[in-house]
Amino acid sequence: MMTEKQLSPELFELATERQGDMEKINRPSLTFFQDAWIRLRKNKGAVFGLVMIIIITLMAIFAPILSNHTYKEQNLKHAKLPPRIPVLENIDWLPFNGKDMNGINVYEKRGVKEYYWFGTDDLGRDLWTRTWYGARISLYIGVLAAAIDLLIGIAYGGISGFYGGRVDNVMQRIIEVLVGIPNLIVVILFILVFEPGIISITVAMVITGWVTMARIVRGQILKLKNMEYVLAARTLGASDSRIIAKHLLPNVVGPIIITTMFTIPSAIFTEAFLSFIGLGIRPPQASLGSLVNDGYKSIQTFPHLMMIPAFVISLLILSFNLLADGLRDALDPKMRK
Amino acid sequence: MARYTLQRFVYMLITLFIIATATFFLMKLLPGSPLQNQEKLSPEQQKIILEKYGLNDPVPVQYIRYLGNLAKGDLGVSFQYDNRPVSQLIGDRIGPSAQLGFQALVFGTIVGILLGVIAAVRHNTAIDYTATILAVLGISIPSFVFGGLLQYYIGVKLKLLPVAFWEGFEYTIMPTLALSVFVIASIARFMRTEMLEVLGSDYILTARAKGISGFGVIFKHGLRNAMIPIITILGPMAVNLMTGTLVIEQIFAVPGLGEQFVRSINLNDYPVIMGTTIFYSALFILVIFIVDLLYGLIDPRIRLAGGKK
Repeated sequence: MMTEKQLSPELFELATERQGDMEKINRPSLTFFQDAWIRLRKNKGAVFGLVMIIIITLMAIFAPILSNHTYKEQNLKHAKLPPRIPVLENIDWLPFNGKDMNGINVYEKRGVKEYYWFGTDDLGRDLWTRTWYGARISLYIGVLAAAIDLLIGIAYGGISGFYGGRVDNVMQRIIEVLVGIPNLIVVILFILVFEPGIISITVAMVITGWVTMARIVRGQILKLKNMEYVLAARTLGASDSRIIAKHLLPNVVGPIIITTMFTIPSAIFTEAFLSFIGLGIRPPQASLGSLVNDGYKSIQTFPHLMMIPAFVISLLILSFNLLADGLRDALDPKMRK
Repeated sequence: MARYTLQRFVYMLITLFIIATATFFLMKLLPGSPLQNQEKLSPEQQKIILEKYGLNDPVPVQYIRYLGNLAKGDLGVSFQYDNRPVSQLIGDRIGPSAQLGFQALVFGTIVGILLGVIAAVRHNTAIDYTATILAVLGISIPSFVFGGLLQYYIGVKLKLLPVAFWEGFEYTIMPTLALSVFVIASIARFMRTEMLEVLGSDYILTARAKGISGFGVIFKHGLRNAMIPIITILGPMAVNLMTGTLVIEQIFAVPGLGEQFVRSINLNDYPVIMGTTIFYSALFILVIFIVDLLYGLIDPRIRLAGGKK
């Protein structure tokens, strides 16, 4: 039992009137995305990833255009040149001084006036142009994978989750079988039947790429469609398509963005992997994977042929992974660890 | 549980059947035939060879025969390797691949768990950040790049380990390392997340309050519970190891199944491609099946959810 204190009226004083202030909102209200953007900016890894993606994208678009060489132009006189970049060539420890393994400046020895920034391969093709051309293909694959996720995955998962019942049952059985089939096997079979190249990879990815997204969207829609605000909208006479577009999808945007962002690096990896084992992009076209594979053949004598494309592909995948991690934390603070 | 198991098993068979069918018809679409130097053979010789491989029958007959043989475990004979049965080729080649995969899985899991636990216990310290960065690098750098770097720096420059081939344990070290990077990284990431969640839960606090040492709490109470969900990533992990062996075996010239698969693709050896595809798929589907069942056994909540369907 607590001892009750006697409170005398003198202890109290009248509160100053500030009812208006109490309700005042001092900070501007932020939308979901403004909020997420603030959180994303605080994440150093994500910002690094975003900046790197922008730089690589710009390089992939402009470097092949501005270069004096095309990706397939051969110049046997200039074959197997090490990288040489103006200004940077004066810094000794950087591998851009035009010197080969034995420390001989090949450019001076062979009287090559031009600077090949990333060197040349055994056919005298400019690695700078080829690397950025390969980055274009990687980025194309990334964009494609994202598009497939967004178009097919959302539609399939949305329909399956929203209509439920028999439709859902059939659609889920199909997914269950598809999930069991290793993606890589489908991709390899497709590439065997249709010629290796960008189109086969595209088609194979269209078939296999959307399953994860469909499952995630379905799960979210299942959860959301029984919410009261959906019932309210329905009571007011909203059509199915309106409910899906205006009420359900905006609430699934977070998981959709996160899933898409994780799809992109794995798609880029798959293409590089296929090109590496010789099933992807065919010469004279270049992809980062096939460039790494070509570089292997001369790894002992001209390591730059492998190192440079390997570095770019790793950096690209790393950047996307970092950005995806950051977005996951930013869009879904509950999942933050 | 029995019903659930049966249901999963039926799905497994359906998936396998679809893969086998799809593979068969896709292969029928392929250009090229088992006849080498077709122009040099007389029509009679061509006919005899086609007869021998059963390629003269109508496609539906071939398909039924193919399914029948498949049920008996007969995957046909290779066009390139002196008519040897595909199942025998797979049997000869599976050893090194299985060894590499197993070593990478064991090594990767142990290191990954350690890394993840240390990162979680030292949450928000330099150790945690370093482990996190290493893990992101690990899932980002493609295994063929990592394999190449190992080969160049450890094999060529430092000459510590043999660069390639398959002649003893020291030859397995670099391919195993290259293959396990992804395993380490993904398990470490996963472990860290799970461990942080478990360490924040009430029963850990209770254990601490009762005076159990930090070490005991982490390993007896924390790790055990955090490890359950790891089973869920075993499936993707199996796929990754499988893909990994395709490139790693090529880089390190390991006489494994992956190396043979890539080679038969380049040689248009259709029976071998088909057989290996079906073999890989069956393996993968089996892993998923086992993972599903294991998960149901370990965590009864999953079983209930699955049973309700």
